[in-house]
Amino acid sequence: MSDQVRSDTRLSSVSRDVRDQIADLQADYIAALDSQDMKGWLASFDENNSSYFCRSKENEDEGLEVGYMFDDCHERICDRVKFVDEIWAGTFEEYQTRHFLQPTRCKSLGEDLYSAQTNFTVMYTDDAGITKVLASGCYDDEIVVNGVARLRSRKAVLDTNVVPRYMVYPI
Amino acid sequence: MNAHSDLVTSLEWPANLNEIPKAVFDDPDLYKMELEKIFYGPEWQVVAHRGEVPEKGDFKRFYIGEMPVLVIHGEDGQVRVFHNACSHRGALVETKNRGSQLEFECPYHRWLFSSTGEMIGCPNSNQFSPGFKKENFGLREIRTDEYCGLVFATLSDDTPDLKEWMGERMLDPLARILGGDGRLRLLGYQKVNYACNWKAYVDNDGYHAPLLHPAFKLLNWQGGRGSQTPTENGHIVFEADLTMPDRVDLLDDPSLIDFKGTDTSNGSLVISTFPITVLTKHLDMLNVRFAFPRDNDHTEVHYAYFRHEDDDEEMARHRLRQASNLLGPSGMISLEDAAIFTRIHHGNISPGNAIFQKGVSDPRQLNFTPAQNDETGNLPRWEYYRKLMGFRRAQS
Ligand code: FES
Ligand SMILES: [Fe+2]
Repeated sequence: MSDQVRSDTRLSSVSRDVRDQIADLQADYIAALDSQDMKGWLASFDENNSSYFCRSKENEDEGLEVGYMFDDCHERICDRVKFVDEIWAGTFEEYQTRHFLQPTRCKSLGEDLYSAQTNFTVMYTDDAGITKVLASGCYDDEIVVNGVARLRSRKAVLDTNVVPRYMVYPI
Repeated sequence: MNAHSDLVTSLEWPANLNEIPKAVFDDPDLYKMELEKIFYGPEWQVVAHRGEVPEKGDFKRFYIGEMPVLVIHGEDGQVRVFHNACSHRGALVETKNRGSQLEFECPYHRWLFSSTGEMIGCPNSNQFSPGFKKENFGLREIRTDEYCGLVFATLSDDTPDLKEWMGERMLDPLARILGGDGRLRLLGYQKVNYACNWKAYVDNDGYHAPLLHPAFKLLNWQGGRGSQTPTENGHIVFEADLTMPDRVDLLDDPSLIDFKGTDTSNGSLVISTFPITVLTKHLDMLNVRFAFPRDNDHTEVHYAYFRHEDDDEEMARHRLRQASNLLGPSGMISLEDAAIFTRIHHGNISPGNAIFQKGVSDPRQLNFTPAQNDETGNLPRWEYYRKLMGFRRAQS
């Protein structure tokens, strides 16, 4: 990566205020998921226009669009909340996740839109109390920031090309 | 290769055909025997579809049992399956899961192979053992056959002809899952490693569907006419019509469950081929679940999704949405199946037999025409398994 490109996408290329709003969004997002609060997860997305994708890096690198989750409009994101809270309720084994994030890149796309990349590791603990890695990867986001930050689109790309269990909750 | 499990001699299989000894899920020696007799034995294993390797030079890495194999679309147009082991000292020839290249080089001592498996070159061969001939050191090829682009491989010379092994009944539904003519293109994968024995993974039954999966009820999706057809050699074909509701109130985006295709009935098709592959077509989604055991306690499944070559953009997009959201390890109407695999695996570490009930009218007879929501459809496969492994059945 050239020095020019690097400095353009560094976290410090955007204002501290914008960074703070994005940090709040990321914290709210993982706090919601780690407490199985799907409505809280939904609240992280821009309700006018948003998308969420979760797919393996293997697919992503090859331009194969299939994902574990493919919510290409806000209605699909709302339906994912229903999958978890209504349709699947009482059928799956509960598991506790912990998301750990590290922002790496951020850049203005003009107006109030920003692109951001954030590494993640998600640990999960099953009913037996055993903790393992669920997935490791990177969020590729577009974020609207105007007093409060919301996800316009989130792509969770999993380095973990073979996940160790079925996934109930988004990453 | 002569694995033996004491269980095969010590355990007496119950006289009732609907009783399955739970001990068979939790015996590492038995698992080694299963690899030899089933995965490396006279059965066809599903390893790829041409849609994954459409161009000359395209390759895919996969497994038969625990053995690594390499599927290559050769420069002559033929799709071959090789052991993924260098003909020199056996290093993996290829470590990428998929790719495209016309030559395959083992980095260890730089032996080079063509896309049809021939040895092209090996450095310093003038100093090799007397009688060394390049022609004898191609990649080791595995017997293969194809049906509608689905690539089968078998390590045994005794395996019957593919169509005979599948049986007449399977040919038409299998073609329909494969888009009618097998002209498919890959949309992508969902890969997951389930913590369960491979037999628990394939033992899903017809009884559970309306009970385990709330989506059917919530969507007012009535199961219409349906059938299950098991074969003597362990395959099962499930077919069901789905009566679609006029309105879907549950979903904000009901387009997810639209049915656009006109090629088959408005329904659902599931084929399970012995030992471990499942193929599904539900609404417009075309799916092959390539699978292999990682060890006695783990089954890895690569859900591969396809579109048809003739699909327009809209149809391809629709299949993509159904592929990603309906029937995979996080799918709206299949997540619950995944949730059962590990429960069955762990719960089966308990004494006694698992006793199938639904549809059993005579425990001493196999039923080859079970009703759609019976669980008797799984019993011919268990009986086939018992015979293959050589378990004695109790007389009474
Ligand atoms: S092991 Fe492959 S070249 Fe020696
Ligand atoms: Fe099911």
